[in-house]
Amino acid sequence: MAERGAGIWWYRTLFLALAAAVAFVQMLPLSVGPGQLPGPDILMLLAFSWVIMRPDYLPVMMIALVFLLADLLFMRPIGLWAALVVLATEFLRVRSNALRDTTFLLEWLLAAAVITAVFVANALILTILGVTQPGLGLTLIGLIATVLAYPLVVILAGRAIGIRKVVPGEVDHLGHRQ
Amino acid sequence: MARQNGSQEDYVRPIRRMAVGALVLVLLVLFLLWRIDSPRAERFRAQIVDAIVPNMEWALVPVTETINLVRGFQSYAALQRQNRELRDELQRMKAWKEAALQLEQENAKLLDLNKVRLDPALTVVTGQVVADSGSPFRQSVLLNVGAARDGIKDGWAVTDGLGLVGRISGVGRNSSRVLLLTDSASRVPVTIQPSGQRGLLAGDNSALPVLDFIEAPEEVRPGDRVVSSGDGGVFPAGLLVGSVVLARDGRLRLRLTADYERLEFLRVLRNQPGETIAPPEGLVGPLLPSPSIALSETDEPADG
Repeated sequence: MAERGAGIWWYRTLFLALAAAVAFVQMLPLSVGPGQLPGPDILMLLAFSWVIMRPDYLPVMMIALVFLLADLLFMRPIGLWAALVVLATEFLRVRSNALRDTTFLLEWLLAAAVITAVFVANALILTILGVTQPGLGLTLIGLIATVLAYPLVVILAGRAIGIRKVVPGEVDHLGHRQ
Repeated sequence: MARQNGSQEDYVRPIRRMAVGALVLVLLVLFLLWRIDSPRAERFRAQIVDAIVPNMEWALVPVTETINLVRGFQSYAALQRQNRELRDELQRMKAWKEAALQLEQENAKLLDLNKVRLDPALTVVTGQVVADSGSPFRQSVLLNVGAARDGIKDGWAVTDGLGLVGRISGVGRNSSRVLLLTDSASRVPVTIQPSGQRGLLAGDNSALPVLDFIEAPEEVRPGDRVVSSGDGGVFPAGLLVGSVVLARDGRLRLRLTADYERLEFLRVLRNQPGETIAPPEGLVGPLLPSPSIALSETDEPADG
């Protein structure tokens, strides 16, 4: 993997910067207090969309560390969300080859299914272990917002930066097949 | 990645799968540790947050201020009207201020007559809100005062100068987290005035926390003032919390006095634990020199 050149490291750093920016914006004390509807989980969408488009840009260790840190910062149960996201990205990573030549709608459907699975697994495990949770309605709204925001993240944090799926037959600068 | 080199993937793939499995296992063990030993895990979290967020403060505060400024410009048209309304309100408030001053003087005189000593240890530290929890499900904010410089301790009450906002839960060297009253983990013992009913204020992630465990709910009316009761030594007694409202679901809830829309500067009340008086006889009367003298003076009134 290392011989693929400096470009890959540039994109990895870019991902870290994007993740830091998302966390920063989320932590701004602009609207403190209850009664807000949960927004989409941008950080997770970022990881999913990148892993579908270019799995080699996101090593699994980086995903685990970023999401563990996010768990710590966002007052979530430590480790659970990170573990689920790692499992989900591994699932998508294996299928990223198959997703190369399908339509975007199919990709979105698959992402939606994975996002739902992560939310449901999270809620189930927390319920079994008796951790207090926000109401079902709020969780559902968060889930729907996350699914709906997926195309937006793909366009803004993917295509706009110049990340595209690997075209069949594409080679890197050393001539390896991707 | 998977199609990279045919010869390589034969042994890379199983190793990779095992590594990912181990990684997930580590994360799940972390989660279980958090579930089993929550206080220790939360202390660890406080340390991590303390290491990261104060470094971001130079950026967090100006960005917040800038966005608030832009929002302020957007409402420029409303400012004129607001200004007029504020003048009217100020006029009315002046009357109240006069009344309050007179009451304060009267109060001071009465306290003096009663020889009441207010707790001198009750001082405040003011901190600025630098970040919130980042999640709509957790109601907490991060202050820029911490254990090292300001001696903040877990459990101290936090107000916005008028009403109770929450309590300190998690202290780092230069930051501390305030658990707001609206968080679903927040429970505060309160007294409802004027009926004197005791109750428990329980946050449930909504703007109006629930009043629970009231002995005689029929004596409580919407509009009653609610102050902290000081039961269990959680908070100093008598801090204003809010006023009772009857919610649409038929439960008694609380409209908080603290302005949760504008949590910017918060006051942390230093709350030294009350002195405990160990031997019961120490409570009654002054110290007597010896039993023989005490016996001879029994006919005198105890309070002199």
